[in-house]
Amino acid sequence: MILSDFSLLLSLAQQMSVFLVIAYLLSKTPAFLPLSNLSPRLPNTFILYCLFSGFCILGTYFGLAIDDAIANTRAVGAVLGGLLGGPVVGILVGFTGGIHRYFMGGFTDLACAISTTLEGLVGGLFHLWIRRRSSHNEHLFSPSIAFVATLLAEALQMLLILLIAKPFEQALHLVEVIALPMLTANSVGAALFMMMIRDRRHLYDKFTSHSSAKALNLAQRMVGTFHDGFKQADAIRIANIIREETGVSAVAITDTQQVLAFTGLGEDHHKANRPIASKQTHQAINENKIVFADGVEEPYRCSSSDKCPLGSSLVVPIRGGENEVIGTVKLYESKRRLFLHINRALGEGIAKVIAEQVRESQVQHQQQLLTEAELKLARAQINPHFLFNALNTISAVVKRDANAARQLIADLALFLRVNLKRNQQTTRLSAELEHVNAYLHIEQVRFADRLVIKQDIAEDFLQLELPTFTLQPLVENAIKHGTAHLLETGEITIYSRVHNGIKQLVVEDNAGLYEHPDQATHEGLGMHIVDTRLRNAFGSHYGLSVECQLNQYTRVIISLPREPKP
Amino acid sequence: MRAVIVDDEPLAREELFEMLQAYPELEVVAQFGNAIECLKNLKQLQPDILFLDIEMPQVSGLELANMLDSENAPAIVFVTAYDQFALDAFEQNAVDYLLKPINQQRLNKSIQRLQERLARNDGGQEQAQHSYQNMLKGQELKLIPCYFQQRVKLVRLEDIEYASSDVSGVHVTTKNGTYHTQLTLKVLEEKSSLLRCHRQHLVNVEAISEIAMEDNGGAQLFTRSGQQLPVSRRYFKSIKQHFGL
Repeated sequence: MILSDFSLLLSLAQQMSVFLVIAYLLSKTPAFLPLSNLSPRLPNTFILYCLFSGFCILGTYFGLAIDDAIANTRAVGAVLGGLLGGPVVGILVGFTGGIHRYFMGGFTDLACAISTTLEGLVGGLFHLWIRRRSSHNEHLFSPSIAFVATLLAEALQMLLILLIAKPFEQALHLVEVIALPMLTANSVGAALFMMMIRDRRHLYDKFTSHSSAKALNLAQRMVGTFHDGFKQADAIRIANIIREETGVSAVAITDTQQVLAFTGLGEDHHKANRPIASKQTHQAINENKIVFADGVEEPYRCSSSDKCPLGSSLVVPIRGGENEVIGTVKLYESKRRLFLHINRALGEGIAKVIAEQVRESQVQHQQQLLTEAELKLARAQINPHFLFNALNTISAVVKRDANAARQLIADLALFLRVNLKRNQQTTRLSAELEHVNAYLHIEQVRFADRLVIKQDIAEDFLQLELPTFTLQPLVENAIKHGTAHLLETGEITIYSRVHNGIKQLVVEDNAGLYEHPDQATHEGLGMHIVDTRLRNAFGSHYGLSVECQLNQYTRVIISLPREPKP
Repeated sequence: MRAVIVDDEPLAREELFEMLQAYPELEVVAQFGNAIECLKNLKQLQPDILFLDIEMPQVSGLELANMLDSENAPAIVFVTAYDQFALDAFEQNAVDYLLKPINQQRLNKSIQRLQERLARNDGGQEQAQHSYQNMLKGQELKLIPCYFQQRVKLVRLEDIEYASSDVSGVHVTTKNGTYHTQLTLKVLEEKSSLLRCHRQHLVNVEAISEIAMEDNGGAQLFTRSGQQLPVSRRYFKSIKQHFGL
């Protein structure tokens, strides 16, 4: 019985369809994963071998018996095996399929056995060729390459049948009949098969990268959102971020008593500042566990409105420092949508990030309070000595030179005014210098020719913003712990410079008596506070550094950012 | 009464000087800008009263007071802007101290008190009990102001190998050289860990490297830098005691 070319092609296409359906079903199982990840490790190679050998054998079984030969789709398995697994896998797959074919008998048995093995080798050579040409493995999954490789392999098979199979007339006849359909069906089949593998691979990649990008994005956007413990304004901002990033229908954040923020579907009747109503939330808080109402087995029921469009909810407790519940994050989906598994996983992560942020903000807040307290302490401690000496100086000057005395009083007033004003966090350098100069002028009069003061600040530094009380303590230290200990003339120089592209202010004395301070000492405390405040304001790249040459100089250097923080 | 003012601020000195003009019985014989200058001239000036600022470079007013020989030291009035620690200490003992800016009434009282004290001293040879000395008791000297050619050198006590007195005065010897100081051997003995080994010598026991006994019951000491020092019989006992010999 001889079939026409067309009906043979049709029948091969049918075989191929069955093949592809099986492949598609397999692609839903974990067994398919090794196909798409190209690991050279042994278990992976073994799975490749088994899978494609299976396809090879199936191809033979599904084949149509023609003239004591079999028109088949065996080549797909062998070529793809070689293409994905390399020459060794290819030859093994081809050999296995070939042996199997050999025992099926027929006048082409030997030719087919050899050619199938060679087909595997062709796939393997393509594998090597692609690998050598580019480090990028993506081409291995190209359907067009699979197409070309299979076409070549099949042509080779036809050639071998003509060469090996006897009698030649029968072989020639066979090839005339099957060549075109088999070339077409196998090549197209291989290409389609490869397409399936590639899509599967892309889908997987896309899915994982999408969800991790989402999680990263969320975490990144939430960093630093809490300024001061767990407050409503921050909660609203966070809820909005979560909704934007996860795309869930609605998001709520509560503390243990009331709803702090609600955003999304159902905003009209879910209001912030109301006490917590939902059963699930109470359960999550009381039992410190994640409560999930999937909307199918356990529906979410809105307690305030029957028409609420929300159907499912996930309540994740936010745990504080002692693992106690300090609030919850709630994600909702509408009745018409399914709760995505990924959002469920994200929800748990989000609660952790929030908890972390709250904790950090609390620590930071404490730190800030501490620094402020230290600052106040430092100011209070600095004053008396200087104050009384200043008053004594004024008292001495007043009889000799009333105007000079008046100037001193003005300086002292300015100095005290700045010192006593405690609510201002930052100031411009020009204002800070005014404060410093008031101080220095008084010291200058006190010590007369035992103190020389120089100042050289570049014009463009004057508008820089810096924490209040940055320069003054350093200048005071330079006198108190530096030049005041000199029997000869002391020299204080305040200047600006740009060092390695960083703007710096330098307070230098000619005493060189700096010793690395103990934090317990007042001197150390003052420098420590200045340093901490600079770092808080500008980041850890900035702050204080000290250069000291014993008995020569001490340089205290303030590094400021190029673009001052507004 | 002869008074000396020591303060590192010129205006503060002038101010006090002017206020003291109101007391004809008191004469300001000198003013100094630091404790070292004062110490250098003290023996020669023989003042009755020292007006001493506390915060001064290198050697503070309290340290200067500590360096004075308690037997013939002048009466000391501390003048300070604000020194909580010193004030706390003095408050118990009603020592003379003045707060800057100085109040004339308070100064009156102070001068009066000084006059009474000095009169008492002249009369009955009664030892003035400077209560600040109670406070300074046990306070070790750390720096010894010394004079080396035209310069002042502050020698750290631990660098000293020994101290000696001769007709030209008191000298401290370190491994780097010998310096002249205004402090008396008695002050050094009392206010430091230096040990007397001879009527004219104090030794830093940390610096002793060798003790050579002599037949007469005395000994010779060798210091780490190889200098030799006599030990008299009378003081040898305390040296031996120190080393548990």
